[in-house]
Amino acid sequence: MLPDGPAVALYFGSEFCEDRLPDLDEASAFCAVARDRGWEPTLLTPLVSPEGLRAVDQLAGALGAAGFRPAVVFNDWGVLGLLRERHAALPRRAGRLVNRSLRDPRAYRDAPGGTATHDVSRHARMRGMLRRLGVAALETDADLEGGYLGEGRGSDGTGLSRALHLPYTYAASGRGCPLKAALYGDEGGFAKAFADRCPAPCRGKPLPVHRPDSALPHWRGGNTIFYELPHEAARSWLVHADRVVVHGSASP
Amino acid sequence: MNILAPLARSDEVAPLCDAGAHEFYFGLNPPGWEEAFGQASVHRRSVRSAGVPGLDDLRRIVRRAGGRPVFATLNAPSYPAGAVPRLVEFGRTLVEDEGVAALIVAELELLLALADAGLAPRVHVSSLATCRNPGAAAFYRDLGVARVILPRHMTLAEIDETAIPGLEWEVFALNDGCAFEEGTCSTTHAFRPYCIDDRVGRAPGRLDERYAFWKWTLDNCGSQTSRGYTLGPCGLCALPRLARAGVASLKVVGREAPLERKVASVRLASIALGLAARGATREDIRDAVVGERGAPELCEGAHLCYYPDAWTAEPVQGAQPAAAPVRDARASGAPRAGCAPPAGPPADRVDARPVAVVRRTATQGGSC
Repeated sequence: MLPDGPAVALYFGSEFCEDRLPDLDEASAFCAVARDRGWEPTLLTPLVSPEGLRAVDQLAGALGAAGFRPAVVFNDWGVLGLLRERHAALPRRAGRLVNRSLRDPRAYRDAPGGTATHDVSRHARMRGMLRRLGVAALETDADLEGGYLGEGRGSDGTGLSRALHLPYTYAASGRGCPLKAALYGDEGGFAKAFADRCPAPCRGKPLPVHRPDSALPHWRGGNTIFYELPHEAARSWLVHADRVVVHGSASP
Repeated sequence: MNILAPLARSDEVAPLCDAGAHEFYFGLNPPGWEEAFGQASVHRRSVRSAGVPGLDDLRRIVRRAGGRPVFATLNAPSYPAGAVPRLVEFGRTLVEDEGVAALIVAELELLLALADAGLAPRVHVSSLATCRNPGAAAFYRDLGVARVILPRHMTLAEIDETAIPGLEWEVFALNDGCAFEEGTCSTTHAFRPYCIDDRVGRAPGRLDERYAFWKWTLDNCGSQTSRGYTLGPCGLCALPRLARAGVASLKVVGREAPLERKVASVRLASIALGLAARGATREDIRDAVVGERGAPELCEGAHLCYYPDAWTAEPVQGAQPAAAPVRDARASGAPRAGCAPPAGPPADRVDARPVAVVRRTATQGGSC
């Protein structure tokens, strides 16, 4: 299903959990691999707490000091502000959670191809704002409404590049991670542990999840539920993307 | 600090004022919305069960509120093509012609369009926008909005850092939690809440039991007490800390709930706020809440806490006034026409009647 095209970027980090942000060694290793292959290193960042904002700041600064200039995918307006004010040399890309359109997997029961109209009048103001704030690209997974990615970069160089994440679409995410809760006794975890640092027991271990209301394969990647997008729906989105971000597993 | 109460009809205004409400929020579809946009949600709730019946009833709400601010929810996370101009026009009508004080907005596209229309100072940023750090707060402040509603899943320490000057701050105080962060849940309750059927993995285990218990508490323990109180998420013991953080408004969740539940929730918040205003400790507030509501065991384990770090992040202070005194908004301003000064129970009165827990008949779930 995927169109032909070269590998151009290496994504690492997390869009869904600040405890899955890499440390400097790991991030540097990804950047080095990308550099060796001529790819763009691309650091994914999630919605963040104040502590998470400081972590992103430190990581971006340290990577810069080490000579790397990764693109940064932001999902938090605080992270965008940080990039503009303190790490202006790093290319900025708006992440999946900037797009808050509906993605409910149960909607595919009656419409396997999805219901996206791909009307690019949606989110036109937001795209204009992002361009003014120096954002280079939009990223999303497939939603049920479409239009978010707009028309892409024009021949005059204006506009935003577009990236589509496949094959997993996120359904829901939050801070009440059950896998993190497993690290606590019966009285702990969940809301009582929102701000605790987590050693990420989810790392490398996506769990298949059974749902009674959807035939689509579902996965738990730590604090986030993903589902595998029907191919028919994915095809309708591919024509609106300039880049496809292919995930090897459902990871937060 | 104000208590923000949910509304669905004008006849709810007076009892909620009596219980201690200082502000109100509601949902209403623009005229002709269904013909143009079908079932697309304007305000994340059923029009029938949670929506104000129409503009005439809204006018009665505003009149009966007697000057207490009334806010409109236009807080769907996204809207179909063509909807934003219609909502801007409707929002302008609400604030300029109908006496609505502010619009609660989640979708950035709508927020930007309202800002372009000069209405940003009348916008409250919804909790769905997941403003969770001071940088995100600065982003919204720069857009010129009036207030930010913080999401549920934050600690008090994070609220302290995020609530920067130049904005009003609102937090969740009572009822109806979310297992996922509502701003990062891309599903719809139209199919039924997605989290209800969420399991940890494929095979049920002990962790699933704990997860189910947490979700049960978020869903108000599927119960209410014989006095009409909801056994749901609660942030009342954190009021002294929230006041010091600069929080101005305490959201009581549940537009779709029966009036009795709304009144009981506002009354409980009013009791806690009155105590906090007089320098009560978290322990004093907890004891008063438990005495009025019942179910002490749920508080002993902090199972219902919106802000569990109210119990871990600060030493017991004794009966000292908060550093930034909690101000019960009832204490200021003259009585307003149409809505008598709150005449609910004295804020520190604890009803010692026995309390029973009764099972609720319908799943409510959801938020604001």
